[in-house]
Formats: sequence, C-alpha cells, structure tokens
Amino acid sequence: MSGVAEEDDLRAAEYVLGTLDESERATVARRAETDDVLNSAIAAWEIRLSPLAVLVSPVTPPPELWRRIEQSLGAPVVAEARRPARRSFWESLGFWRGVSGAGFALAAALAVLVLLRPVPPTGPSANLPSASAVLAASPGGPPAYLAEADTNGRLTLHPLTHVAVASDRDLELWALPVGGTKPQSLGVLRAAGGVATLPQATQAGMQLMVSLEPRGGSPTGAPTGPVLFAGRLARL
Amino acid sequence: MALAYPLTMPALARTPIRGNMPLRRPSYSARRLRESVTLGSLGNDTGNSGESTLRALLERCAQGDRQAFRTLYDMQAPRMHGLAMRITRDTALAADATHDAFIQVWRQSVRFDPERGAAGAWLTSIVRYRALDIARRRIREKPGYEPPEQEDESPDALSQMISSTEGAALHRCLDQLEPDRRKLILRAYADGLSHSELSESMGTPLGTIKSWIRRALIALKECLSP
Repeated sequence: MSGVAEEDDLRAAEYVLGTLDESERATVARRAETDDVLNSAIAAWEIRLSPLAVLVSPVTPPPELWRRIEQSLGAPVVAEARRPARRSFWESLGFWRGVSGAGFALAAALAVLVLLRPVPPTGPSANLPSASAVLAASPGGPPAYLAEADTNGRLTLHPLTHVAVASDRDLELWALPVGGTKPQSLGVLRAAGGVATLPQATQAGMQLMVSLEPRGGSPTGAPTGPVLFAGRLARL
Repeated sequence: MALAYPLTMPALARTPIRGNMPLRRPSYSARRLRESVTLGSLGNDTGNSGESTLRALLERCAQGDRQAFRTLYDMQAPRMHGLAMRITRDTALAADATHDAFIQVWRQSVRFDPERGAAGAWLTSIVRYRALDIARRRIREKPGYEPPEQEDESPDALSQMISSTEGAALHRCLDQLEPDRRKLILRAYADGLSHSELSESMGTPLGTIKSWIRRALIALKECLSP
C-alpha cells in the first residue's frame, strides 16, 4: 500500500472511530463524496468497528420523538391512508425546520429548490409566454404537461392529463440547460401544476423533465427515479 | 425532436449509499460504492439475526412503507439513541441526533444496497456521525465545555461483543492490544472523544495519542484481515 493510500486509509479509520475535530471531519466527508477509494475505505472501517456499538447501553428515546420524526416527514401514517390527494410540498417544510443539526447542508440543498407556488391569477401585468414546451412520456407521445416560460424566467406548468402517483411518491420537475449534464430541481409538482423560476438566460433549448421521486422529492438533489416525462423549451 | 436526455435513468434508481454520506450536494454523477469492500467475514448474517430483518425493513422503507419505518424505529431507536446519548451527553442534543438520523434513514433507505448486507453498521454510522457533528459543534460554540468523566467499559459489556461472529473477531483483536491503547479505541468509539479530548482526559500529549490510535488501528486491521 502506497504512503498516500495508507494515509487515506488511516484518515478513514479516524473518521469512523470519531476522533477527528469538526473541520477534519467535514474535510473527510466532503472528500468522500468524490473519492471512491476513500469512500470504500470508510465503508470497510464502518463494518470493522461496528461491533463496538454493543458496548453502549440502549436508551429509550423520549416518547415524543417518534411524533417529531413523523411531523418532519409530513403527514402521519394514519391520516395519509385516508387522504386522496397527495401532500403539498409545503407540508414537508416541517422537515427542513426539524432537522436542526444538518443546517448548513440543508441550506445548500434548499438553495437549489425553487418551490412551486400556486398559479397566480392572470392580470394585465402578467407577462406573455416567450417559450413553451410539451412534456410527454416519449417524443411526440401524448402530452402530459404544457410548460410556458415568460421573459422574466417564470415557468408555469399546466397539467394536461391526470398523472396518478403512488401515495409514497412525488413528481419532481427538473431543468437541464443546453449542453448541461446536471439537471437542476425546480421543485416538487402539485397536481394543479404551479409556477417555478427558471435559471435565467438559458431558456431556449432547455430540457424540462419530470421524474418519479420518494415523497418530498429527491433526497440527493439529482433525479433518483425514472424520468416519466420530458420536453424541450422552444421560443414562441 | 430528439431528446439529449434519456427518458429513464434506471442506473440512478438504486445507488448504494452509506451512513457516512451527509446530505449530498446536487451532483448528477451518481457514484456507486466500490465492490472492493471486503464483506466476506465481516458483513454476513451469521450470529447476527437482526441483520436480515433490518435489511428487509429498509427495503420496505425504500418503497415508502411507513409501517415498516415505524417497526424499524421501534427496533432500533433505543440502540441508536443510546449511541447518541453517549456521544452528546445531553438529552436534547441526543434527541436531535436521533431525530436527524431517522429522517436520514427514511430518505436514504432507497439508496441502501441490501446486497451489501451491513444494515446494522449503516444505521450505527448514520446516528454516530450525526451525534459527532452535533458534539463537535458544541465544542466550537461552548469552548469551556468539559465532558463528564466516563467509566471504563466493564468486562461484561466487552463480553457482549462475542455474541456475533464479527464481534468475537474484533474482541479477540482488541485483546491483543496493550491495555492503554485498547482503552483509547473503546473510549474514542463509544464516547466520541476527539484526539485533543482524549489527550486532555488521559493526560497524554496529543501527538502520542494520535500515534497510539493509528498504531492500534493498523494492528486491528491486520488482525481482522483474513
């Protein structure tokens, strides 16, 4: 094992053991996101050292903790079964408030989420659409959504059919700029469609996608489920 | 009109993810865990009857089954909360850590790879890392904070490790370490003490602590390798 590899392996071991200070921990965690070798070393150490966990006596958590977790995740199980409509994204905001410790990581994740607001009433000040896209399951297939972007980069999504989604899933809207490889989340869809803000200046030719995600949207910031509908914005 | 983007991305649907991963920054290049992790003698099911149940529950969580999540909570919350309590030594902070850990478990269960077969270790890592992050932040925010003295591990607690094959192997390897080094490893893991906290609490210079721990870790790895 080379010196560098051995150093990384020991760093991984210290990370798992828990002896690193705050900034050292953050550095290792950040590096492991892109360094597969370091990542594997951490996984191996997690397995090696995990039997030590039996040394720690179990402690019954406070009785209200389960309720707090449920609140953070959205509707409780019982209420969920009775609800015909899918939960709106706003309800999952409890999650963002509830996760106290993960603050900065979540702030970063939240920064790319543009929440879909209800379509405002169309008034005289409303901008005319400057580009539009039809989102379909296959190019030229039956349209599922009509997307209209105005000159301010506002995107309005109109559902054209009813898209049924299992109660434990949500649909999420993504934008992929021309030549881009990283779709950007525009938010979790509501049955009634909504308004999202597009990354400016990259409108024409931009691809829009709707993917199937766990409830509340992709946990990673990138699509994790199949892309169900897609279409490309064209200037009007 | 041809789409530059494929309509389905099955490769992204079940990417293994591990406990050490924080909520990841948006990155479209989903990375797969290397297969090189040695699981042969470490991650299997023998002597660890809870492992297959945990895997099944995580798989159901990944499908959005809240009932399975509740069962998983009932099964694992005391163990995970115990780890959080020990590291944070604070009821409210431990509750935060356990809360955050379960949210992460639910959201990332879709990425847990059952083939990897180390569900218990995955859950342990998630809550320990959360608790460690919270404990470290407290050190920054309250520099004068002194952790209470902890008792050494009782021989009874250590002997519990023997109940699983992996634990027995680790126990045997720990036994080969010098008592001081063994104590360091146990306190570091269980109490989540940093290098400098260990140095202070044991009255040993920081550099010595660091090198003792590294040597102990190298010895453990060697002893555990088949």
